[in-house]
Amino acid sequence: MAYEPQADFGTPQVASETRVTLTIDGRSVTVPQGTSLMRAAALTGGSIPKLCASDNLAAFGSCRLCLVEVDGMRGTPASCTTPAAEGMTVHTQTPRLQKLRRGVMELYISDHPLDCLTCSANNDCELQDQAAAVGLRDVRFGYAGENHLGLAADTSNPYFDFDPSKCIACSRCVRACDEVQGTFALTMDGRGFASKISAGQAGDDFLSSECVSCGACVQACPTATLQEKAVKEIGKPERSVITTCAYCGVGCTFRAEMRGEQLVRMVPWKDGKANHGHSCVKGRFAWGYAQHKDRITAPMIRESIDQPWREVSWDEALGFAASRLQSIKAQYGARALGGITSSRCTNEETFLVQKLVRAGFGTNNVDTCARVCHSPTGYGLKTTFGTSAGTQDFDSVEHSDVILVIGANPTDAHPVFASRMKRRLRKGAKLIVIDPRRIDLVRSAHIAAEYHLPLQPGTNVAVLTAMAHVIVTEGLADEAFIRERCDWDEYQDWARFVSDERHSPEVLEAVSRVPAADLRAAARLFATGGNGAIYYGLGVTEHSQGSSTVMAIANLAMATGNVGRPGVGVNPLRGQNNVQGACDMGSFPHELSGYRHISDTATRALFEADWGVTLDPEPGLRIPNMLDAAVDGSFRAIYIQGEDILQSDPNTHHVAAGLKAMDCVIVHDLFLNETANYAHVFLPGSTFLEKTGTFTNAERRIQMVRKVMEPANGMEDWQVTQALANAMGLGWNYTHPSQIMDEVARLTPSFAGVSHARLDEAGSLQWPVNEAHPDGSPIMHEAGFANGKGKFVVTDYVPTDEKTGPRFPLLLTTGRILSHYNVGAQTRRTANTAWHPEDLLEMHPTDAENRGLKSGDWTRLASRTGETTLRLLVTDRVAPGVVYTTFHHPATQANVVTTEFSDWATNCPEYKVTAVQVMASNGPTDWQEDYEALSARSRRIAPEIPAEAAE
Amino acid sequence: MDVAHLTLMANQIARNFAVQGDERAAAATAEHITLFWDPRMKAAIRAGGGADLSPIAAAALSRLD
Amino acid sequence: MNRSARLVEIVAAHAGREGPLLPLLHEVQAEFGCVDGEAEAQLAHALNLSRAEVHGVVSFYHDFTATADPRPCVQLCRAEACQARGVEALVPAAQAAAGGRVKLHDVYCLGLCSVGPNARVGDQLYARLDQGSLVELIERA
Ligand code: SF4
Ligand code: SF4
Ligand code: SF4
Ligand code: FES
Ligand code: FES
Repeated sequence: MAYEPQADFGTPQVASETRVTLTIDGRSVTVPQGTSLMRAAALTGGSIPKLCASDNLAAFGSCRLCLVEVDGMRGTPASCTTPAAEGMTVHTQTPRLQKLRRGVMELYISDHPLDCLTCSANNDCELQDQAAAVGLRDVRFGYAGENHLGLAADTSNPYFDFDPSKCIACSRCVRACDEVQGTFALTMDGRGFASKISAGQAGDDFLSSECVSCGACVQACPTATLQEKAVKEIGKPERSVITTCAYCGVGCTFRAEMRGEQLVRMVPWKDGKANHGHSCVKGRFAWGYAQHKDRITAPMIRESIDQPWREVSWDEALGFAASRLQSIKAQYGARALGGITSSRCTNEETFLVQKLVRAGFGTNNVDTCARVCHSPTGYGLKTTFGTSAGTQDFDSVEHSDVILVIGANPTDAHPVFASRMKRRLRKGAKLIVIDPRRIDLVRSAHIAAEYHLPLQPGTNVAVLTAMAHVIVTEGLADEAFIRERCDWDEYQDWARFVSDERHSPEVLEAVSRVPAADLRAAARLFATGGNGAIYYGLGVTEHSQGSSTVMAIANLAMATGNVGRPGVGVNPLRGQNNVQGACDMGSFPHELSGYRHISDTATRALFEADWGVTLDPEPGLRIPNMLDAAVDGSFRAIYIQGEDILQSDPNTHHVAAGLKAMDCVIVHDLFLNETANYAHVFLPGSTFLEKTGTFTNAERRIQMVRKVMEPANGMEDWQVTQALANAMGLGWNYTHPSQIMDEVARLTPSFAGVSHARLDEAGSLQWPVNEAHPDGSPIMHEAGFANGKGKFVVTDYVPTDEKTGPRFPLLLTTGRILSHYNVGAQTRRTANTAWHPEDLLEMHPTDAENRGLKSGDWTRLASRTGETTLRLLVTDRVAPGVVYTTFHHPATQANVVTTEFSDWATNCPEYKVTAVQVMASNGPTDWQEDYEALSARSRRIAPEIPAEAAE
Repeated sequence: MDVAHLTLMANQIARNFAVQGDERAAAATAEHITLFWDPRMKAAIRAGGGADLSPIAAAALSRLD
Repeated sequence: MNRSARLVEIVAAHAGREGPLLPLLHEVQAEFGCVDGEAEAQLAHALNLSRAEVHGVVSFYHDFTATADPRPCVQLCRAEACQARGVEALVPAAQAAAGGRVKLHDVYCLGLCSVGPNARVGDQLYARLDQGSLVELIERA
């Protein structure tokens, strides 16, 4: 595709059913009522000059460049603010208009530097284009008058610059920040001629302002005032490829804009159905890790982990790995082998890894990093609704009246969706937040939650049961819905259970510390406030009752009739980009793709016929059990794709012990990650920019990932897995990832209609895609639940075994922040560290005072499992008795302190509750120091020509 | 496999089904273990002697196979 | 009472009011002689606005200043009643007396209309001013 910016229709699309027909420059056009003349003209292929309008912003009408003439109307109305009406006759190009427009343009240009030829936006500047469009040749005012030309540029943001001398004060940036992003970080400072754009207040620059670096203002700017630094450094892009962000479960699509083989910038794609042209700092800017110097591009091996790495050829590395795997299998049996798929990799790659384990290794010991995040979602939603997936598309939020957010922090973890949600909230939807911490959504510019229930970590089930108690006992349940859609007997069992006085908010207040009156009010609002939608995240799943909480959420949605139409539903906000996909592709040890149990003979037969092997009918080991079995000696080899279990899994010491006990650890990744310290084989991976395949986001939307450059390591990840399979003699011969997707479609009913060709054509598809839903399924359970009747499951509150006591009086809970992602392997290798250079421990002022601690102090954080040190931030965002930290930096080793307690049904670790003590400290712990030393040692790579023996 | 850890897991599963009454809880626990545990885990806990198992978990294990 | 506690009080007094930003800003300006960055930030937090938004409003109106004027200030009433009682005739002398050292601030009604011309310095009101007493007041300020 040659380079061309995406078309801009000037004003947003209007949803009206009523149509009007009018004539523009002699062409007849029919548009929805309320459409602007500007948009209508653009739809006919015409173009009216404009500067202050853009089709993702409400019309503003300030630049006066878009004037038109309308028969029968006096004057020259602005086409961006004038709605089309039936029978109108509009002229967009007349001598009078041309003269007026030229006059307006002259004023703009007289206050603009005329260095177009050397400007980085040359040929990609709307001001320049519009000046040409209105035929401006000369500026009568001269350039000598008072102007803004001397103002200094603000280069504080690591990714874009602000050069006020080029600003035309159209305020598109301000409106983008307000309307699209919802941060309100920009303003027009002063008035009249003196006015200029300001980030934050007088003393601020972009970095110190409230700006979250989403990039919306940069896209909105019609000049080079706000522009990516990369465009200045590399030059204007020449071509673009549409692909999907590899960071979070929102699944934003981008135009990767290239110059030669170099990526210049990622611009959110307006036609992306998940993001509608918006982005966050990670996807938009933080892709520099792909070329980071730490990236390893050659395969490496070593006999044992105390030796330095040796760079070898692919053949040697694969041969070494294959022979180790085979000899372990021969000696200890297939069940001593296993693999871990990655929710960062594509569906195709994930499918291949689980196929390699099941069909090649001959065992079901395959698991995925979703184990540590959303496995309870799979279990809970499958049990209640019959499918392991969220029920809605993101657009659904536009129809919600009450939004319940529990255990999720969308503005940090799912920023682009959070912007949508905030927009809906600004338009009047009500918000309930259930979270131990006062997340930004509770209160930030123009957003305020109706109720924030700051529960004790670990009491989700108690709080949800109390809400159900209020709904049932106060007669607020939607019985008509329940009778029609759910199993009535099960409902009655459940209703009886929750109605018990033990589950009243007043009784449970002692456990949850949520004021009963607030809880009652929140429950009433949710049940009676119209369309109620529930959004949840890892604060729900990463608990000893993660699965119960998911089912309690599903119960609540069914009891209030909030399933099966737009605006309602149960919506897990997935962490990593392809968590949904990794789960769909059969990454769990007990099920094949499409969530079919491995013990099901018919399903197995299907795969056995296709793959020509016999499959083990018994479920395999989950990650924590693999590590237990490794310490035990019955599990000895593992192939880990794109996953750093040493850093991301609980109880780091135990993970280290398990890895250390194995005979063959194969790490397939971009970097020598922490897990690779224990590896024998390192297979270099490729980034999302270097491969073709698909990701599936949190709304079950399957989207194409397209290769924009050649893999630096020489192979896409699916090719590496295939090469390993073939080194083991499996004889695979996929020549393109689309063939893998065809195999998935052939073997998985919910994917039956999916293929790369279909995706190219449709842009994206939401599964199930099959005969019943040929174009996919934005909303699920519309006509009935996937398993017939919705199932109410009684969820009893069982307190976690992790309890505070005199030695560990505080509860630690964990989370993430906007600028970083997961264990930070990628984001730490970008300029995003400008915002979050280290992990901090948040503590309430009362607790800090009791310990004589203040912000910035080094503290020792100790649990029954281990201890680490990090610096303190005193804040009343957390309740007394609760401390909070992120886990983005390996030096913090937050998982040294987390315990091995886990969800009862899925063993998803209980990251969100650890009893801890915090005290003053001088600096890093012994483990942190030992560990630093070990990583330095085990990351050694031998020089290419081994030195002559010196002894 | 560490039997103490497996016992803890089995008891935790049983505890979450307990609200359904002993009989149904034992059946549900047995089903859960059948569906989600690898054979060596099942074997190890059954060979472990059953000390420290809750009554529901013990009843569940006696139903396996 | 420190500044930020006083600000909290001012905000509280306006709680529940429609469009409280402008009246609040006026009160802050009157009380502290300026609306500085810190006050902007505190108001933003209190009203659930962004810092940038409050700054945008503050910088738009001439009534608000970013820094307090350190000069002593004499508020001279020039509203109708005081005009009728002859304040305009005193202005040139007052301006001459003030020079650059004293800030002469026009206000409109101090609530003592029957006994004007009136002025205020700090919390102290002065009534029935003539040229001599006004000039003296300014010179002492
Ligand atoms: S980058 Fe985003 S948050 Fe920052 S000023 Fe621009 S629109 Fe606002
Ligand atoms: S910075 Fe760009 S978008 Fe913002 S007012 Fe100036 S020209 Fe318009
Ligand atoms: S990280 Fe998530 S929200 Fe940000 S651009 Fe990527 S997919 Fe979108
Ligand atoms: S585009 Fe219509 S007034 Fe600016
Ligand atoms: S007019 Fe001067 S005090 Fe009233």
